[in-house]
Amino acid sequence: MPIAIESYREEHQNAVRAFNQRLRAGTAEPDLVFYERCRPAWLPKLDGSPLYNEYFVAQENGAVHGAYALKYEQFFSPEHGEFAVACYHHPLSEGVIDRNYFSVGGLLLRDAVRREPRLYALGMGGYDHSLPKMLKAMGWELRSVPFYFHIVHPYRFLRQMMVLRITFLQRWMMNLAAFSGTGWAALAAWQKIKRLRVGRPLGALEAVEVEEFADWADSLWLEAKHAYHLASVRDRQTLARLYPPSQKHLTKLCVYQQGRPIGWAVIGERRKDPKYGSLRVGSIVDCWAHPANATPIIYCATLKLEANGMNLIVSNQSHEQWRRALEECGFFTAKSNFVFATSKQFSALLQKGDFGQFHVNRANGDGLPANF
Amino acid sequence: MTDVAERVKSIASDVFGVPAHKIFPDSSPQTLERWDSTQHLTFVLALEETFQLQLSPEETERIRTVGDAVRLVEEKIQVTGE
Repeated sequence: MPIAIESYREEHQNAVRAFNQRLRAGTAEPDLVFYERCRPAWLPKLDGSPLYNEYFVAQENGAVHGAYALKYEQFFSPEHGEFAVACYHHPLSEGVIDRNYFSVGGLLLRDAVRREPRLYALGMGGYDHSLPKMLKAMGWELRSVPFYFHIVHPYRFLRQMMVLRITFLQRWMMNLAAFSGTGWAALAAWQKIKRLRVGRPLGALEAVEVEEFADWADSLWLEAKHAYHLASVRDRQTLARLYPPSQKHLTKLCVYQQGRPIGWAVIGERRKDPKYGSLRVGSIVDCWAHPANATPIIYCATLKLEANGMNLIVSNQSHEQWRRALEECGFFTAKSNFVFATSKQFSALLQKGDFGQFHVNRANGDGLPANF
Repeated sequence: MTDVAERVKSIASDVFGVPAHKIFPDSSPQTLERWDSTQHLTFVLALEETFQLQLSPEETERIRTVGDAVRLVEEKIQVTGE
């Protein structure tokens, strides 16, 4: 009996557990496992909501050999209005541990495109991984979402940024820069100069932590959505699903200028990652405003993360105005391995629009629960 | 060797980066190092484009060797030709 791809149901759960056990035994990647419950814990299907997750499994005689998830959502472009797309995420194939299943990865992807031709994928760890290579083979368009980082404590950064301390020479240079004071003094001075340039003209700004997005979120969405060539819908209803009050690991900020809401940001502390050593890493996960107001939003989000004790702050943003805002607030940029890929049908809709006019960040995709 | 077999062999040679004279009907992921999931997908897409075919998931799954691909394409061409 050939491999068949079908909706993930309760009867598949034991087979998915067995699949995960085989993946765990065959790889050194603890995260390389599929959801063990068929009902999504994050964004389950609810009546009337266009934002939900759905899971699929590739099974053969009751054994699961692959799986993937689709996050259905609405995007907006001034040309097409609101339209449905899906994010292709968590594709897993037994092919990674057993060459007999080499065809499963392609089967999953083609099945997903058949179910929802307007697809995107996000993150993926860079262009040299197998998924982006497959997407490219299928004619998808791939672009990097620029990466930015802000060093709050240069001394700690130089001492603990493990990804920059791999060779003996790197460690020696980083230690020299940290202990002599030259490195951290230069970093701190450069960031302060940038911040001073932006801090003064911003005027009376206030960032208020909110439990949930109120009517002002709808106003901000409507005011700004036509300023972007493409954005995922960020109206009040969508935000309530993405960032419910029960979700405590992310902080929602409404930014006021002279008493009027001008935008919002969602920030949080990233989970520990060996490449960052013991640094506390904060993330500007999501943000929305008219592009002209990007700088005050990034400024307030950065101050809040600094106040929360972060040592390093990171963000991925595609829109040129948001990228400029990050630079104005003292962020540096580095090579990004965060890839935004769109299927042929989705790309055709965008008509090769300028990626610098798209609003894509880490809140897209599947990262909000734990990988933002 | 049929024309289809020659063309499939040529596609396999390009996709898996092996000279055509080293591709045999029983060549498979076990014998061709570059035949992984990504290259398998590339191989299937190249077959579809070259022979103007649509392969279903079940048919894609049937391709375990170069010979399987040849047989499948020949079957599909016959059906289309009728």
